Amino acid sequence: MSNTNEMVVEFSSVAQNESFARMVVAAFITGTNPTLEEVSDVKTAVSEAVTNSIIHGYENMDGMVRIKASVTDRKVYIEITDYGKGIEDVEKAMEPMYTTKPGEERSGMGFSFMEAFMDKLEVLSTYGEGTVVKMWKEIGAGRHPFE
Amino acid sequence: MKYYEVENGIMIYYLPCELDHYAAENIKKKSEAVFADDNVKYLIFDFEKTNFMDSSGIGLITGRFRRVHDKGGKVYVINVSDSIDKLLYMSGIYRIVNKCDTKDDIMRELVEGGYYE
Repeated sequence: MSNTNEMVVEFSSVAQNESFARMVVAAFITGTNPTLEEVSDVKTAVSEAVTNSIIHGYENMDGMVRIKASVTDRKVYIEITDYGKGIEDVEKAMEPMYTTKPGEERSGMGFSFMEAFMDKLEVLSTYGEGTVVKMWKEIGAGRHPFE
Repeated sequence: MKYYEVENGIMIYYLPCELDHYAAENIKKKSEAVFADDNVKYLIFDFEKTNFMDSSGIGLITGRFRRVHDKGGKVYVINVSDSIDKLLYMSGIYRIVNKCDTKDDIMRELVEGGYYE
């Protein structure tokens, strides 16, 4: 029997669901016995990715956001997918402080926070089709975002 | 729930438990009319109740900073927990925002700095 535990959840792209999304993932990874700080790191990263899907992927229009997560021992994998407009230039989007919506008081720190709080981040996007954000974190590895 | 309070040009934002995109939009909407008042120059973001924040919180503070900075104002954060402090620090926001322990400390600083009588 595999020791991998998986979950998939899909929900409407509305801002109220941002808290639902991070709660679900936080609850799912409880079995890895994370510290409060690790839970908080994962919640922030999930919140950033889901917020991006809602604001940028769907530009506040109707759509679905999908989260797939898996846990193997203490290794957490999270995949957040939207079927929205996609990112034209992923490299540019990932630059700190870069935002396509400066007038809306967006900080441009979303991807930077995901990178800082997780061990590894991958962003795949097809313009016009959607975006997939993949994130990995090993719980208990002791890596600190400041290091 | 009280979102903000304004007194003599000082506006205090009482931030919610979870400061995400949804909450930040809500705060902006609820406070826009008062915040847009020319007399508001000093902003205090009170994190006492806040145990979660993402980059939307940073956007809220920097956006508001820009607008009061133009009128010579200042921005403060108070009651910052360790986890919130980590995010604020990482974002680089402490280059433009001052962290204080209490509202009284800020009042003292404003009076001593001659910004406020």
